[in-house]
Amino acid sequence: MADDLPTEFDVVILGTGLPESIIAAACTRIGQRVLHIDARNYYGGNWASFTFSGLQTWIENCKQELNTELAAACKGQALDNEEIIPFNKRNQTIQNIEVFCYSSTEDGEAVEEAGALNINSALLTTVTSSDGQENSSIDISKNHTSTEQNDSPEGRSDLEEATNSDQRSADSTLETGTIVEVEPSLTQAIQQDSPKTITYSQIVKEGRRFNVDLVSKFLYSRGLLIELLIKSNVSRYTEFKNVTRILTYHNGKIEQVPCSRADVFASKQLSMVEKRILMKFLMHYIDYELHPEDYQDYENSTFLEFLKSKQLTPTLQHFVLYSIAMVPENAKTIEGLKAMQHFLRCLGRYGNTPFLFPMYGLGEIPQCFCRMCAVFGGVYCLHHSLECLVVDGDSKLCKAVIDHRGKRVDCKYVIVEDSYLPEQICANVSYKQISRAVLITDCSILNTESNQEISVLTFPPADKGQTAVYITELCSSTMTCMKNTYLVHLTCSSTKPTAKEDLEPVVQQLFTLSTENDIEANDRTKPKVLWALYFNMRDSSGVPRQSYAGLPPNVYVCSGPDHCFGNDHAVQQAENLFHELYPSEEFCPPAPNPEDIIYDGECAQQEPSESSIPVDSKAEASAENETVVESYEDSEAQKAE
Amino acid sequence: MQSHQKEHLYKILVIGDLGVGKTSIIKRYVHQNFSPHYRATIGVDFALKVLSWDSDTVVRLQLWDIAGQERFGNMTRVYYREAVGAFIVFDVTRPATFEAVAKWKEDLDSKLTLANGVPVSAVLLANKCDQGKDNFKNHFTKMDQFCKEHGFVAWYETSAKENINIDEASRCLVSHIIASESDQMQPVEPDIVKPQILNSSKIASCSACFKS
Repeated sequence: MADDLPTEFDVVILGTGLPESIIAAACTRIGQRVLHIDARNYYGGNWASFTFSGLQTWIENCKQELNTELAAACKGQALDNEEIIPFNKRNQTIQNIEVFCYSSTEDGEAVEEAGALNINSALLTTVTSSDGQENSSIDISKNHTSTEQNDSPEGRSDLEEATNSDQRSADSTLETGTIVEVEPSLTQAIQQDSPKTITYSQIVKEGRRFNVDLVSKFLYSRGLLIELLIKSNVSRYTEFKNVTRILTYHNGKIEQVPCSRADVFASKQLSMVEKRILMKFLMHYIDYELHPEDYQDYENSTFLEFLKSKQLTPTLQHFVLYSIAMVPENAKTIEGLKAMQHFLRCLGRYGNTPFLFPMYGLGEIPQCFCRMCAVFGGVYCLHHSLECLVVDGDSKLCKAVIDHRGKRVDCKYVIVEDSYLPEQICANVSYKQISRAVLITDCSILNTESNQEISVLTFPPADKGQTAVYITELCSSTMTCMKNTYLVHLTCSSTKPTAKEDLEPVVQQLFTLSTENDIEANDRTKPKVLWALYFNMRDSSGVPRQSYAGLPPNVYVCSGPDHCFGNDHAVQQAENLFHELYPSEEFCPPAPNPEDIIYDGECAQQEPSESSIPVDSKAEASAENETVVESYEDSEAQKAE
Repeated sequence: MQSHQKEHLYKILVIGDLGVGKTSIIKRYVHQNFSPHYRATIGVDFALKVLSWDSDTVVRLQLWDIAGQERFGNMTRVYYREAVGAFIVFDVTRPATFEAVAKWKEDLDSKLTLANGVPVSAVLLANKCDQGKDNFKNHFTKMDQFCKEHGFVAWYETSAKENINIDEASRCLVSHIIASESDQMQPVEPDIVKPQILNSSKIASCSACFKS
């Protein structure tokens, strides 16, 4: 189907993560011809979100060993004075995947997600007793070698088969009318009085209700990403929910942090004196630059020392440091003040916390930029890998790329997500790691009257040398999990060998990890974990360009997601790279709004119609043989007149 | 427009292989013109068609073209989200485009259902019927069977060039959408934030922020 791909583009972009997708949209908006490719069969790379069955497929694919041999087709396409740099075909950015299931699987045999599916039952581990957890866990990589020895040695065809069979099973599911089952199971879920009874098979059946993000980030309401979405008009594709609560873990208890003026006064945890001190402190330092004399002496101290000096009680110090500024204990005063100011300025724009969360998950956001790119002429090929870069022997510039079918595409620039870079180029690069956990739970970590809260909790570091763990808890109205469940994401910079070692201690403090029949399960003070996933993701955000050896100057690298809570890094990176390519062009100017384009002249219609904005007949006549955008410009011109 | 009129906004997808005439059908339906010169649509998500459905109902149709850009079938979720109906188009002069119809329909159903889990209404359009009638005539009974098997609510022979059956197909789709809508009213999710340029006109001082 991709045979009729044009042979020349201005920009070829490999990877559909957030920075690559923003750059793709920015390039087509200034009229560049963009080819946007991803080797995976889904959008977003490590920024993607998945349904429950999609997540199982992702887990499977992460352990696929891909063939790294250069396709023979590739060599024939390069000319005499050209060199070839092969792309990396193995995704090495995800490691240490561990999956646990704590929900009942007794009725879980042969259940299928309604509508789409590829469940590998081997991934499912039932924990039979709490002390047996360690033994019954599955080490994915070991499991792979033992159960899949008979795999075809050709890695790529392997992957293709996996996705094709995924497609086929989805198809057959549809034909046999599984959709009918959705309704009974839905009603069942609604009728659940006690969420305790949610079983693994229900999770599987309702799998399409889940949108599990690989990275968990919120958007600051005045952060770079929201401002870019608004400025570029990509916001027309987006819908958000307000994050409703900021929580803190203090003295072994989860409490709500009062972060707005109304909250501070309503707070029951703070004394009157504390309320007054906190209000005065926050209102004073929201414009901290105006009072340099108040913090100058502490510029070389930590923010925490500064807070202590301002007579904040330990509770208030904890609130301000971890939940408002959200900076580590060793952050300097200015860093803390800046972060606190950003938080405070974001309050009240859309809601009572500074944060927004995208409906259907963060994985929507890269796709929104891709849609904008496509609407402006960008060509999309998913599940399409590139074999190599073709580099001119004299100029050392990249002239073309060659895809897995041996097709050569000439281009001026290549932008590549760093996981596609070959080892020879990354030999001197050292990476950090992010530890991630994803939990499906049966109730909120802090129950209130509403069961539809969206919360963020910063869990302070257990001891020195460790980092704080950011926890987000999503309710079903975010369209990321089924009714009567919560989706909990834990994220921190890795300090231990595996994500599970970093995060399980925190999980154990906040949640119950046990099977249905345990006596402890009746202890309803903590939410019960139904299903858990741990993994490490490579953090390439801090890698400077100089550390990549032998990269042609017109090949640019985008990093994967960073460990921070916001999205500023990705946006900044995209804008910087765009300006390196096109220094004098505007970055993501607003796209025309299709709602403004209404066509009249319904006289030829058999049914009478009306339109609310009359468009001059002149514009209609000139619209003949023209693209829609040209007639749009006509009607714009008329408005100006 | 009278104030008691109900207004419906429906997002309709127009899907099918490259060159089957998706853009031409939209242009014929919305702008009443036809151009034999194919040009990829640049810069527009959807075309808007406003119908006076009956004396107290106005229907605004957003017709979302996949355009040429996502032609390899890699549409984003943004494209599918909240659509309530679809036209799947093939070219009667090119059998391969008909063979792809089942694939497009399965893709659609796997990625999009109404809130109650039921697939959205889809109408099959056999386009360019002005050119390929002779080849196609024998298949009429087969087509009815095909629609039944693949869950299309109807099929029409259309021609964007000669303006054949496009209004009829649209009426059929809209009436199915209206019927399935009254079956189950979709609850509107409350408290959704849609950031826009004009959204900044919020009250400068409120209890949520610290600026007084």
